[in-house]
Amino acid sequence: MTETCHQTLEIELKRLIIDALELEDITLADIDPHAPLFGEGLGLDSIDALELGLALQKQYGIKLDSEADETRRHFASLAALQALVEARRVN
Amino acid sequence: MSFPLYIEEWLGWLPEETIIANRPNRLISAPLGGMLPAILRRRLDDTGRATCDILRELDPQADAPLVHASRHGDTTHTLAMLESLQRGEPISPTRFSMSVHNAILGVHSIAQSHHRPLQALGACGDEFDALVYESHGYLMAGYSSVVAVFSESSLPAAYQGVTQHPGTACVVGMRFTLNQGRAITLSKPGQSTSPTPVNVLNWLNGETTFLDGRQRWHLEQE
Repeated sequence: MTETCHQTLEIELKRLIIDALELEDITLADIDPHAPLFGEGLGLDSIDALELGLALQKQYGIKLDSEADETRRHFASLAALQALVEARRVN
Repeated sequence: MSFPLYIEEWLGWLPEETIIANRPNRLISAPLGGMLPAILRRRLDDTGRATCDILRELDPQADAPLVHASRHGDTTHTLAMLESLQRGEPISPTRFSMSVHNAILGVHSIAQSHHRPLQALGACGDEFDALVYESHGYLMAGYSSVVAVFSESSLPAAYQGVTQHPGTACVVGMRFTLNQGRAITLSKPGQSTSPTPVNVLNWLNGETTFLDGRQRWHLEQE
């Protein structure tokens, strides 16, 4: 994947997070790709994790097991989420 | 009939664009939900945000039992979920979690670290009477004040004309006590009409001499 494609997907995922989770006070620049998404960092909660999982399914056709440990790793940060999408997107 | 109950304070909310003959003088104004953390505020519509604002104003120490009534709840999002199911699509986990009747009180209790009793009511049109009786019960159990809030969100077009609705989003909140404020009395059974939050606002504002629900409610003049 080229650097440009990488950056485009990063912006796309930031928009997805802001829109799906209705983060009305958050801008693209507020999301640090390497900061935690849940708990600290953005402060998202378990309902947000489910909502984000649904958004990934709708947008990229990626199905995740909400109970699996690897899902927790995929949701650790925007960068981890991006790696997941790059590896497993089907559309 | 003796009914020792007083309204110590009240507040309301109506959207700016709502046209009403005599706009009540104790309305909160935008921006709504300004004291809620953004991470919680995002999950509430304007009615939910106004409800939290009024709860905070009437119970600043987070020390009173809170009773919240809404006849219809958040019908816009409930209908959207039903439409998703009809299309065979998954429903939003956030909307599902917020579709319970006590969702607004839950958000308020988290934001305010409120640990007193919370109660959510839907009473098929008898919400005002139910709020009064539940509040009186908490007072008789020993609490010095109770805050009751009655709200309606705007109604989706699909439901208009099918159910009674005030025609606007609206919220009214009251702080009840057993001995301070303006006395509430009841004179006789009412016409079994179903007062909305707008009717209650008009009554509190002195626009009507009584409020008919299951009972006919009177309020001592200021």
